[in-house]
Amino acid sequence: MAARRPLAKGATPDVDSPKSTPPISAVPAPNPPETVSTTRKQPPVEKPSDIRRRTWVILSFWLIVVCLGLPIWWETTTIYRANLPLTEMLEWSDGKACRPVFPLRISIQANALHEQEAQNLLRLTQHALDDLNDFSGHHLRLQLSPPTVEHAPREDGGTALTIRLIPGEATTSTLDPYAPILDITYPPNSIPSPTSSSSSLATYVASQLRSTFAEEQAIISYLLSSDSVPSDHRPQGLTPEAAESLSKRTTRSLKYAPTYHLTFSLFTSGPLPSSWDIEAAIDEYMKPVLDVLSPIHNFTIDTQVQLYATPGVQNQVLTKEDLSSFINAAEWPLSPSIGGAPTINFIVFVGNQTILTAPMENTETETYHTSQSWLIPQWGTVYLLPLPADTTQVSAETLKQPLLTFTSHLLSLTGTPQSGSLPLRLSTLARIRSADLLLRASSTLGSLARLALALPSISIPERVADGVSKTMTHLRQACDNLGGADGLAHARVAEAEAERAFFEKSMVGQLYFPDEHKIAVYIPLLGPIGIPLLMGLLNEVKAWRKRKRERAEKEAKKKE
Amino acid sequence: MKLSSVLRLPALLAAALVAPALVDAEHTSNWAVLVCTSRFWFNYRHLANVLSIYRTVKRLGIPDSQIILMLPDDMACNPRNAFPGTVYSNADRAVDLYGDNIEVDYRGYEVTVENFIRLLTDRVPEEMPRSKRLLTDDRSNILVYMTGHGGNEFLKFQDAEEIGAFDLADAFEQMWEKKRYHEILFMIDTCQANTMYTKLYSPNIIATGSSKLDQSSYSHHADNDIGVAVIDRYTYYNLEFLETEVRDTNSKKTIGDLFDSYTYEKIHSHAGTRYDLFRGGAEAARSRLVTDFFGNVQNVEVDATRNATFEEEMLSLSRTIAALRQKADEEESAKKNVTSDAGHAPTTQKKIEFAKPLTDENWWTKKMYSAAALAGCAFLWGMGSYLEAPR
Repeated sequence: MAARRPLAKGATPDVDSPKSTPPISAVPAPNPPETVSTTRKQPPVEKPSDIRRRTWVILSFWLIVVCLGLPIWWETTTIYRANLPLTEMLEWSDGKACRPVFPLRISIQANALHEQEAQNLLRLTQHALDDLNDFSGHHLRLQLSPPTVEHAPREDGGTALTIRLIPGEATTSTLDPYAPILDITYPPNSIPSPTSSSSSLATYVASQLRSTFAEEQAIISYLLSSDSVPSDHRPQGLTPEAAESLSKRTTRSLKYAPTYHLTFSLFTSGPLPSSWDIEAAIDEYMKPVLDVLSPIHNFTIDTQVQLYATPGVQNQVLTKEDLSSFINAAEWPLSPSIGGAPTINFIVFVGNQTILTAPMENTETETYHTSQSWLIPQWGTVYLLPLPADTTQVSAETLKQPLLTFTSHLLSLTGTPQSGSLPLRLSTLARIRSADLLLRASSTLGSLARLALALPSISIPERVADGVSKTMTHLRQACDNLGGADGLAHARVAEAEAERAFFEKSMVGQLYFPDEHKIAVYIPLLGPIGIPLLMGLLNEVKAWRKRKRERAEKEAKKKE
Repeated sequence: MKLSSVLRLPALLAAALVAPALVDAEHTSNWAVLVCTSRFWFNYRHLANVLSIYRTVKRLGIPDSQIILMLPDDMACNPRNAFPGTVYSNADRAVDLYGDNIEVDYRGYEVTVENFIRLLTDRVPEEMPRSKRLLTDDRSNILVYMTGHGGNEFLKFQDAEEIGAFDLADAFEQMWEKKRYHEILFMIDTCQANTMYTKLYSPNIIATGSSKLDQSSYSHHADNDIGVAVIDRYTYYNLEFLETEVRDTNSKKTIGDLFDSYTYEKIHSHAGTRYDLFRGGAEAARSRLVTDFFGNVQNVEVDATRNATFEEEMLSLSRTIAALRQKADEEESAKKNVTSDAGHAPTTQKKIEFAKPLTDENWWTKKMYSAAALAGCAFLWGMGSYLEAPR
C-alpha cells in the first residue's frame, strides 16, 4: 500500500497537463538538444513531470515485487518442517534414552520362619540369584512379605511372583496353577544359620526362580538383541537351539495389536455339513481363554461356512510341502477385512486326509502319527475334521477338539510363552509385549528422525511434532514402569502415537524435483516479468546517472 | 520346559553362533504390488501384462487380500473390445485373464503417482479399507511389478504425470526404515526400464528390468481380432518361464534360473538385473526361490500328537481365573458405586454447551486472517473511491 500512495499522489496532478499545455514550450530545457545536425525528426523532449512519474512507476513495481511478491513466493514455496527433537529421537532408537530393565519383585512368604531367619534366607537367596544372573536387563528382587497375609493372590502389579515357604519333608517346588505362587517345601534342618554364608535351600530357591523365569528372560534378551540396543545390554549366552526356538517363536507370533479379529471358517468339499454350533462351542471352549487374555488384547469374532470348497491340494495323504499350499487362497474367502484389526484365521476343513510328517521330526515314534492340524505362522490354524458323510450339523462336542487346538494355537500366535503356569505365562506375556512395543515405538522414532534428515524436501506438519512429543512422554513413563501394570498401557499409547506420527498422511515425500524442472517452471514465469522490470530499472539508473553528470557539468560551467 | 532345560546348559561359547541365526529370518507372508500405469485402448498389452502376472501370483497362492492391483483403465468393458468382459494376453485366447474372480484395488483415475507412493509408504487416510493397503511387516516379501510407458529414470502414469526413479528409491527407503519389507523383487517392463532401478539405495532389493538406457521394450505379438498387441516380450517370457518351470508352489527354481532365461534373442532388448543391494550379493539373490516372491509358501508347523488333557486343564484354569477376576472386578465396582453414590450425587450440573467449531485448532488465528483480509479489501475500495473522486 505504501508503495502506491506516492505514485498516485505524484501522478494525479499530471493527468490533465499534456492536454492543456503545449509540449515543448513549457519545458524549461536546461540545454536544448542539438537536433539540428540530424535529419530525422526527434520526439519531443520529455517533461520532468513525466520523467518523475516514470520513476515512480518503476519504483513502485519494484517495491511491490520485493515487498509483496518475494515474501509471498517464499511463504508459499517453502516446505513447512516442524522442529523435531532429532537427537532425542535417535537416542531412543539407539537405546540410549531408556535402559529396558525389568525389576521383578518377588515376595517371599515364610509364615513358619522367624523374622531373622527369613531375612537371612532372603539375603542368601538374593546372592545366589545375582550370581546366576548374567543379563542385566532382567532383575529378580526379593522381598519379605508380611506374614499376616493368608493366601489372597494379590495381583497389585507390584509383585510378579509370591514364594510360599512351607515346612515339609523334603525340598520340593510346585507352581500354583491359579495364581502366581510358587510353593516350596523344605525340611526343617535346611534353614541356614545366621552365620552361614551359603545354604542349599537358598540355592535351590534361586535355581527354581531362575528356571521359572528362564523363558521370559530369554525372550526379552532376544528382543533386545535383535533390536539396536547397545551390546553391553545383550545377553551373554544363548545356545543355538535356544536361539532357534526363540526365532521360531518370533516367526510364529503376530505383531502386537490391541484388537485381533478371529475368523472361524467351516469348509467342506461337499454339500454337507451345512451348519455348525460354533457359537456354543466358542462360548464353551474358547471364551475363558479370551477372557483371560482380555487385559492384553481384545477380540472380535466372525464365522462362516463354505460348501463345495476345494482345497489347494487334492491328495489323500498330505506331506508337509502340501500343507503350505492346502489353503486355496484364490477361491476361499478368507480375508473379510472387517474393521481395522488384523485377522487370525481358524479353519475347520471337513475331510479325512492324513498328514504325513517327515520321520526325522519325531524320531521316537513311527513315521505316521495322528496329527490333524497345523499352524501357519502369523496367520492361523487349519484343522482336518473327519466326519460321517451324512452329518448335517456339526455339534459343539465335535468341535471341542478343534477349538481346544485353536485355543492353544491362539496363545502361541499371540506370543504367550510356553512354560510355566497360566497366570505366570500371562503376566510374562504382558511384560514381553510392553518391551516389544517400547522397542517398536523407539525404532519408529528413530526411523522418523533419520527420514527427516535424509529427505530435506519432505514436509513435516505440526501434528507429527505433537505425536513425537506424546510418544516420548509415554515412552518415558513406559520405560519407568516396565515391570509394572502401567507399562503396557503407556507402551501401547506410545506405539500408537509413534505410528500415527510416522504415517502422517500429508507427509508424502513427493516429489523429487531436479533443477532442470525448477528452471522449466520458473523461466516462463520470470522471463516476461523479469526482463521488463530489470530493463526498466537499468534504464532508469542510466538516466539518473546521466542527469547527475549533466548537472555536475552545469555547476562546473556556472562556477567558471 | 524343554526350553528352560536347554537354557540351563553352559552357553557362553555359543554367542558367536547366534549372530547368523538372528540375521537369517524367514519370511512369513508374501505380497504383490502389480501396477499398470497406462490408459487407452492401444495400451491393451500393459493391462494384459499386469493381469497375467496377477493370475500367476494368485495361482501360486498369494490371496487377493495380499495383492494390490492397480489398473488405470478397464479394457474388459472398453467398447472397442471385440470380446466384451474379457482380457487376453495371447492370440490363442485360451485364458480369460479377467475371469469372474478378480479384485482390482485401484482403478481408473485412482492410479496416480501420489496414491502409489502412499500405498508403498502406507501414508493413507484413516478411512482407507484394509484391502487397499499394503500391510506388510519386516517378515514380508514383496513383488513389485510395474509396466507402462517409461523413459530415462521415469515412468509415465496415465499420460498425465510421471514417477521418477528418485521418488521410487525414496519410497523404498521409507519402507525399509519402517521395516515394511523383508525382501523385494522389483520388476519393471517399460522402455528404458533399467534406468528406473538405478537410483534405488535400500537394502534387500533384487531388481530386474526389460531394457537398458535408450532401448525400447517391445510387444510380443498382436491379436488380429482384438486389433492391438496383447502382451510385451519381457513379460511374455517371464510368464513362459513361470508357467512351464514353476508349476506349483513346491517348485525349487530360483530367481537366478528365471533371470538366466532372459536372452536378447527372445526379448529383443537387454534385460537387466541388479543384485548389489541384496544382503549376500548376487549369490544370495540368485539362490532365492521364485516362489519366495511369486508364491505364498510358508513354513507350517505340524502339531505333534498331543494329549488333550493338557488343553482341557488350561481351559478349566482360565475359566477359574476369569471367574476370579470377574468377582474381583465386581467387588471393586460395587465399592466404587457406594463411594461415588455418596460423594457425587449433588454435584451434577446442567451446562449448556455452545456450538463449537469442529476443529478448534487455530480457530482465532483463522478469524484474524479473514478479518484482516476483509479490512484490506475495504481499505482498497475506500482508497479507490477517494482517488477517483473529482476534486
